Amino acid sequence: MTVTDPATADAPGTGEARRVGVARPSPSRRRRGSTAGGAAVWLLAPGGLLTLTVIVVPFVVALVMSLLDLDQYTFRQWLSAPFVGAGNYVEAVGRTSLPHAIWVSGSAAVIATLLALPLGVAAALTTHLPFRGRSLIRSLYLIPYVLPAFVVGTIWRIILQPDGVANQGLASLGIAGGLWLNGPKSYFALIVVQAWSGWPLVYLLALAGLQSIDDSLHEAAALDGAQWWAKLRHVILPLLRPPVALAAIISLLHMVNSFTLPFVLFGVPSPHDVEVLPVLTYVESFQNLRFGLSAAMAVISLVLILVPLLVYLRTVKLDAPEAAA
Amino acid sequence: MNSVHRLLPRPLQIGLTLILLTIVGAPVGYVFFASVNTDLAVAGGDFWPERVSVDNYVRIWSTVPLGRGLANSLLVAGTVAVTCAAVAVFSAYVLVRHRFRGRRTVLRALLGMQSIPGTLLLLPVFVLFATIGSSLGVPTIGTRWSLVVTYLTFGLPFSTWIMVTYLRELPGELIEAARVDGAGSWQIMLRIVIPLSWPGLVVAAIFAFLLGWNDVLFASVMTDVDTRTAAVVLQVFGAAQEGGAIPPYGQMMAAALVCAAPVVALYLAFQRYIVSGLTAGGVK
Repeated sequence: MTVTDPATADAPGTGEARRVGVARPSPSRRRRGSTAGGAAVWLLAPGGLLTLTVIVVPFVVALVMSLLDLDQYTFRQWLSAPFVGAGNYVEAVGRTSLPHAIWVSGSAAVIATLLALPLGVAAALTTHLPFRGRSLIRSLYLIPYVLPAFVVGTIWRIILQPDGVANQGLASLGIAGGLWLNGPKSYFALIVVQAWSGWPLVYLLALAGLQSIDDSLHEAAALDGAQWWAKLRHVILPLLRPPVALAAIISLLHMVNSFTLPFVLFGVPSPHDVEVLPVLTYVESFQNLRFGLSAAMAVISLVLILVPLLVYLRTVKLDAPEAAA
Repeated sequence: MNSVHRLLPRPLQIGLTLILLTIVGAPVGYVFFASVNTDLAVAGGDFWPERVSVDNYVRIWSTVPLGRGLANSLLVAGTVAVTCAAVAVFSAYVLVRHRFRGRRTVLRALLGMQSIPGTLLLLPVFVLFATIGSSLGVPTIGTRWSLVVTYLTFGLPFSTWIMVTYLRELPGELIEAARVDGAGSWQIMLRIVIPLSWPGLVVAAIFAFLLGWNDVLFASVMTDVDTRTAAVVLQVFGAAQEGGAIPPYGQMMAAALVCAAPVVALYLAFQRYIVSGLTAGGVK
């Protein structure tokens, strides 16, 4: 599945370039292009150098730190802190709430994604065909996703206060809401808010997928006299599986890595039931000042997201179709 | 054509649309109402304001240093946006126009770097800045430029990816023709590539801007009282409200909306481009 192609179909911005000009690049020109190799390296330098200093170097430093007994006493001379090998990893897995945090982060991300998928697909189905006001509705659908996570966290923190509007609403239905920002129910609060802010991504990718479905399939389904449900079930939804699967992976990656939303929604120290991996790692360095331990946790979290990340990277097309070798 | 392409029966379509609009609209609408309501009524959980007043929007500026926060955010995110777009167009041009060993690895890395947990790099970045600061005797942690450098590198991979998806649609004949006419790489960039790819540049800049505007993780440890961004000002404001007599929730809602306003405005102004960017990498 290509992510970018359906996008270009829907985005005049990207189509413009195509309209300006001529045919697609031919292989012969591509070969000629590669002769200017010297200039290529030179132009890549600014971006590459910056990336190197602020991503690759810190990454190596993080790996080194995770092997050191680094706390507020050894921090100033961090390179000469005592080497403890896998000690931090053993401690992180065995004697901290890391396994619990992994469970919370992972399970909440999966459930929130599962909630987001039907919402996103339904939204795509409702705005597929033009109607009056469609562009307004499309804009509205995207609002939860466009709002910054710190704003989403702030507003839901107030909505979910014990005496807040959510509980008043529930009370009018005869349901006692209880505590949403503390205790066991905070887990559901985390899931609901993550799903709320995440479903428009599914919507976008599903809509792009929907619009790339060939007209002839619609016509064939109509000729066969398929009712809407049969058509949806046997024609449309199977075709939407690749973009929706991609959306699910991206959504999982976002939610597992999400720091700002739980941090702002629940504050620190965060309730045990919603102590997610990024927040635990953050608290371990900047509140408990156990820097080595925290670095080990961060490395573990990278290993965990590697699986969905590799799936994602395999799915995304790196080149325009004609250039794919 | 409409009946052939129809996916849902009309009543179902209307019903679903209404449900989805409620899911989006109820919380967002509530925030609007709460922001013009009294703190007391918001704390009591009233949905509709008892009386509409813009008091919260007036008082918020003196309750918290929101103005300074917004100015800091604007400065930091704006600098990041302009620099990112400028650097990304060059990197992307090379990645699209030239075939070299490791090119596909670079492209994968551009996408993969989005997903590196920020918490992994936060501590090392902090330590490196502190080390540079103390060895060179220049202030680093707490300054805006350290934040700019940090966001720049997190923004560059995605900005570059957006420019790659954009530039690969650019007709190669134009560039070849210019080269035949004797234009150098610089002239090709300035006269052809950049003028033709400005929508892509806008998207790349917007996403870099949003990265800086939305970040709390790095800003919470790399700023001090004077250099705090709006995101941190709001987060600190929210966290400081526990146990007060009447928490200023109405003001917090007003502040949240003020912080969201520039982002929503950008989104409305450049919606089509932003959607294409979101779909291009599926990344916020």
